[in-house]
Amino acid sequence: MQSEIRNRPSFANIKVNLGPGDKILAEAGSMASMSSSINIATRWNGGVFKALAKRFFANESFFINEFTAANDGELVLTQTFPGDIECFELTGNTMYLQPGAFLACEPGISLGLGWAGIASYVGREGLFRLKVSGTGKVWFGGYGGIFEKEVEADYVVDTGHLIAYDPTIGIKMGLAGGLFSSFFSGEGLVTRVKGPGKIYLQSRSLDGLAAWTNSHL
Amino acid sequence: MQHEIIARSAASAAQIQLADGETVTCEIGSMIAMSSDINVETTSFERGSKKPGMLKSIKRMFVGESWFLNHFTAIQADQTLLIGPQQLGDIICHPLRTTALIVQGGSWLASTDGIEIDATFQGLGNALFSGEGIFWIKCTGSGDLFLNSFGAIYEVEVDGEYTVDTGHIVAYEETLEFKVGKSNASVIGSLLGGEGLVCKFTGSGKLYCQSHNPQSFGRALGPKLNPR
Repeated sequence: MQSEIRNRPSFANIKVNLGPGDKILAEAGSMASMSSSINIATRWNGGVFKALAKRFFANESFFINEFTAANDGELVLTQTFPGDIECFELTGNTMYLQPGAFLACEPGISLGLGWAGIASYVGREGLFRLKVSGTGKVWFGGYGGIFEKEVEADYVVDTGHLIAYDPTIGIKMGLAGGLFSSFFSGEGLVTRVKGPGKIYLQSRSLDGLAAWTNSHL
Repeated sequence: MQHEIIARSAASAAQIQLADGETVTCEIGSMIAMSSDINVETTSFERGSKKPGMLKSIKRMFVGESWFLNHFTAIQADQTLLIGPQQLGDIICHPLRTTALIVQGGSWLASTDGIEIDATFQGLGNALFSGEGIFWIKCTGSGDLFLNSFGAIYEVEVDGEYTVDTGHIVAYEETLEFKVGKSNASVIGSLLGGEGLVCKFTGSGKLYCQSHNPQSFGRALGPKLNPR
């Protein structure tokens, strides 16, 4: 299986070349086009109850699609909004994804739901997060560009911009500055990230776009 | 005529170099900038076709294009015309020769002299379920054709069969045809898997797809917007 992320960063999409018998799992509705040698099977996103939980708490779909190639074929996967797509490869370790960021993974990956905490919820990062673990590649996307950062000690991220992070990362909510500047600087609440570990950020957020658009309607 | 597509893929514009006497026909409102020695003429019909086609104009409105067309003609040597669509997205240039191209309504941006555009109907099933408009634009003749999309445009050489999700078709050569069908072997799977109906192409020829789907984006953003 070979894959390539094309048209980065504004209209990123994943082109996957599958060999006979190759499999890839993708978020429901993410297929843009594919060869006819590929079959789609739809299944619960990890059992009925887990799927329900993921739907309501992690903003993921009930169902997940499994694409299997009978012969050589290509598959193009995309996300609903314009933006960048990133990929990381897990080798038995775990990563956390923010609600809605997950796009696709190799069959060796398992998707679970992890409690993110009240702090995360208050920061509009969601009460739960998607836990990806196992061996293989994971693709995830964001609205805007995606960049990664190695956090050594403390780091501050505006709410809604964190999309993936190592399990070694601790998350706390905080004010951007003093009480006055937090309310009038336009930063308000921020996410305080504690390392060491890797985080992925998106340069824009869909809520930001919605707020900006609303101000022009 | 020479051209260059700049600022791909999110904010594309087509920069067209016109020699004296050369004409490009564009979608209304697509001109961004141009040299001063270009003559602009607005008509409801294509240049070259002698009769003002009322029917064609009406059909064009059904396709999601405008009643009127703008014709840009260079009246001096070395004139530059810069065109682009209103929304974010990609532009490609398709060299049209012998095989006609069927374009999704709204994706036609401009064409050079020698190309005729007309609305066509691709069957009731396709009209209702393909996620595109009811009518399509059929481009015939010989020249350069500029198409735009929401999302990046990618090209697929189809030989045999190929599947495209509804809402992702930009254009395809007439040697291809498609039918709307379910995405999974099972009906339940098709409904639940979020792919629902897909367009299944058969034949051999060139197919252009767009990486993103404006309707999906609308569904993601829409609920976050205030009611007007």
